[in-house]
Amino acid sequence: MEQTFKISSSPHVRDDGTTTGLMADVIIALMPATIFGIYNFGYHALFLVLTCIVSCVLFEWGCQVLFKRKVTVKDCSAIVTGLLLALNLSPDVPVWMAILGSAFAIVIVKQLFGGLGQNFMNPALGARCFLLISFAGQMTSFTYDGVTTATPLAELKANGVSAINLLDMFKGTIPGTIGETSVICILVGGIYLIVKRVISPIIPLMYIGTFAVLISVYSAANGGFDPTYLAAHLCGGGLMLGAFFMATDYVTSPITKGGKYIFGALLGLLTFLFRIFGGSAEGVSYSIIFANLLVPLIEKVTMPKSFGQGAELLKAEGSQAGSSKRVDKKSIAIAVAAILIITCVAGFALGYVYDITKEPIAQAEQNAKEEAYKAVFNGADSFEEYDCSDAADVLKAAGFDSDVIDEAVAAKDSSGETVGYVFLVTSNEAYGGSLQLAMGITTDGTVNGISFLSLSETAGLGMEADKDTFKEQFAGKKVDEFKYTKSGAAADNEIDALSGATITTNAVTNAVNSGISYFKSIEGGNN
Amino acid sequence: MGKLTFPGGIHPNEGKKLTMDKPVVEYLPKGDCVYPLSQHIGAPAVPIVKKGDRVLAGQKIAEAAGFVSANIHASISGTVKVIEPRMTSSGSKVNSIVIENDGLFESVDYSQNKMELETLYRDDVRNIIKEAGIVGMGGAGFPANVKLTPKNEDEIDYIIVNGAECEPYLTSDYRRMIEEPEKLIHGLEICINLFDNAKGIIAIEDNKHEAIKLLRELTKDNDKITINELKTKYPQGAERQLIYANTGRYVNSKMLPADAGCIVHNVDTVVAIYEAVVEGKPLISRIVTVTGDAIKEPCNLLVRTGTNCQELIEAAGGFKDDKMPEKIIAGGPMMGKALYTLDIPSVKGLSALLCMTHDEVTKYEPSNCIRCGRCVSVCPGRVVPSLLAKYAEHGNIDAFLANHGMECCECGCCSYICPAKRHLTQTIAGTRKQILASKKK
Repeated sequence: MEQTFKISSSPHVRDDGTTTGLMADVIIALMPATIFGIYNFGYHALFLVLTCIVSCVLFEWGCQVLFKRKVTVKDCSAIVTGLLLALNLSPDVPVWMAILGSAFAIVIVKQLFGGLGQNFMNPALGARCFLLISFAGQMTSFTYDGVTTATPLAELKANGVSAINLLDMFKGTIPGTIGETSVICILVGGIYLIVKRVISPIIPLMYIGTFAVLISVYSAANGGFDPTYLAAHLCGGGLMLGAFFMATDYVTSPITKGGKYIFGALLGLLTFLFRIFGGSAEGVSYSIIFANLLVPLIEKVTMPKSFGQGAELLKAEGSQAGSSKRVDKKSIAIAVAAILIITCVAGFALGYVYDITKEPIAQAEQNAKEEAYKAVFNGADSFEEYDCSDAADVLKAAGFDSDVIDEAVAAKDSSGETVGYVFLVTSNEAYGGSLQLAMGITTDGTVNGISFLSLSETAGLGMEADKDTFKEQFAGKKVDEFKYTKSGAAADNEIDALSGATITTNAVTNAVNSGISYFKSIEGGNN
Repeated sequence: MGKLTFPGGIHPNEGKKLTMDKPVVEYLPKGDCVYPLSQHIGAPAVPIVKKGDRVLAGQKIAEAAGFVSANIHASISGTVKVIEPRMTSSGSKVNSIVIENDGLFESVDYSQNKMELETLYRDDVRNIIKEAGIVGMGGAGFPANVKLTPKNEDEIDYIIVNGAECEPYLTSDYRRMIEEPEKLIHGLEICINLFDNAKGIIAIEDNKHEAIKLLRELTKDNDKITINELKTKYPQGAERQLIYANTGRYVNSKMLPADAGCIVHNVDTVVAIYEAVVEGKPLISRIVTVTGDAIKEPCNLLVRTGTNCQELIEAAGGFKDDKMPEKIIAGGPMMGKALYTLDIPSVKGLSALLCMTHDEVTKYEPSNCIRCGRCVSVCPGRVVPSLLAKYAEHGNIDAFLANHGMECCECGCCSYICPAKRHLTQTIAGTRKQILASKKK
């Protein structure tokens, strides 16, 4: 038979580059930051990285099997997502949180929208923000060298530049998420990507540049430009990781060159607004996610002019061509202005909502406290702050390791005489982590009543502690120590345990007892 | 003078070393020759011979049917065997004249066609070019005399000879330039003299130093012809990009090059013009590069049109014993057509037969677009291929047109560079074809 050959449409040659190859390059570029993160934060960080990667790959595989799609885990994109997510987690978060984040990134953000290339926001950052909103406490608690500390940016916001060690920030020996701390490691990876032409330098440079200019102008307008302040802002809070690795994500950044410039500048502006006017010291993650949403609009206004567009008009009628060009420019200008306005409004809104609500929230908290005081000390006319700085030592000596007296006030009657005290006690041995209660105690040692300021126990079980029948068991009793029993309270100092919630009962009882013991130390001292 | 270029483009593996230094060897066909009546853009030619007629090499056997059409000449002597549809490189059967080769290669006496150039009017020259059946030999096959008859004759200020040869593997234009530079220069002068205000440019990529040096030397006293050095980059030889690189002028899909005062001709076309006007020879042969990693002795052959392609492979030593080709391409790897059989005739527009042992297209499976933007940065037409392909797939013609889909020149850069291996060019080209077809209705 006559020999036949393969046929296909032209072109018949292809570049060597593949999607898998690009993903592999990103993974290689992230290695310095990952290895440093593990060195900096220890084995748990390594464990989190592996957990995120493995669970992202498994979720991707699972989704594709379930949705009857082609399984494409070999393209390594899920590994990149997992790695980026891990690098954006606090090294202290529990493993289940890493798995939950991976599920959100892959299932919700990526696969439900159609898989690779279809997601409208960066999966890893989407998951990070989801976790930040859901578990703010754990996501923003950073332990470093065994001590829970604030990140440099939080320090900067609270205490100014004096609290900053720039060299540590550059090296990365600071608290933060696993991958964001070391500027030098991230830069090495970023430069690798730019040299290998995996990413264009436009977005990172525009992002960091715009941000630096805005911070400089802001600091110059607020008591003089301070290079340390600028450098701390550039090195801190995941800006470098975000600029080089997350903002440059192909899928969620503009495909057009002009779009890349606008996108980078927007990110700089947003991060500036979030950091300076917003509540938290961070802002990179939210900026990128917000800008991701604007990408379709940015692309629409930055569509390139095709080769020779309008050239035929130029020849036919010069004036007409000119006017059509002007209209073109005008509509682009309007769209760019719209994007800028949206960004500014959103940035300022987020910032100002925090500012506006800061006062009322503080006032509401104060009112809640006052109310709690009143609830547990009905007879008092006014409350006066009482210095309880010695409480920690007293409780420690008395053996209440899990309880902290947060605040103490002296209750006064109408003549200004102290008639008793109210303590805010936090117990860390509750079923749901911690609880906070207010307890009133009269000068003769009688417990006046208790009330919860925060209680997040199991509904139907631990939450029953907030019922009057339980709380009233403490009221009007003068005892040395409360005990709980499951067999029916007989003595004055016995409390009926909540059925099915012994741990909660124990925590509450201990909290009250710690208050009594601190009261004794006050009265003992006074006598 | 700096090297000229355009924004965008790619750098595929050149593959020209295989045949760059192989001098052109004439190959005379052994078997029958087949002449498809449609080797050019425009109406198919009409046969003027019938079965059983004896014809000579250089004899006209089919006549142009209208303004945009071209004559066809026999390239050998022999007898008309049959006129019937035959398979061509386009993959479909085209009505063709088949001539049984008598092996004598008896030729028409060209000397009787010769005329003194000085005595000719411009329209006489155009007529000679038309008679000789000369078409654009870069592949598209646009009748050369039509190009040289623009409406705005006075506004033509550049005749550009496309010596870029940006397609990988091809070396036929290069060999022409260094072996017959005088013919090229004289051919260009003939074209320039058709216009009052025209100047000539020979534009060559900088990977062809020899040709640039040689032509510069030969034209150093000629103030009407300049040799421009272009950066080696694909698609430097695409008509619109070539005009931009050389003159800074833009031509879009709504225009002809003449609207920008330019006429672009391929190297081989200009040489054919010279041979027609000065030597009286019609277009019956051209240089074909037979190359690729499956070919035993890659070479440049001077081939009579109508020669069976299987013969050309044999003339190049055949395939390597251990390497049967997976794919054979008529033309270059970027814009050439894949052939499923070699039993087709060579035509006026056939620049090469490229035989590859590995097909890179079927090696990869297309995957999702990751929006990396590589297609946007390489596109010489400055459109957004990924977006156009999406509209094409969705059948959204309005959006396709609104995003300048018609400005695509199907050069193949986007498909080449795509890391997801998507068939962007194919998808876009399909929709363009559909739109053009519906416009004609």
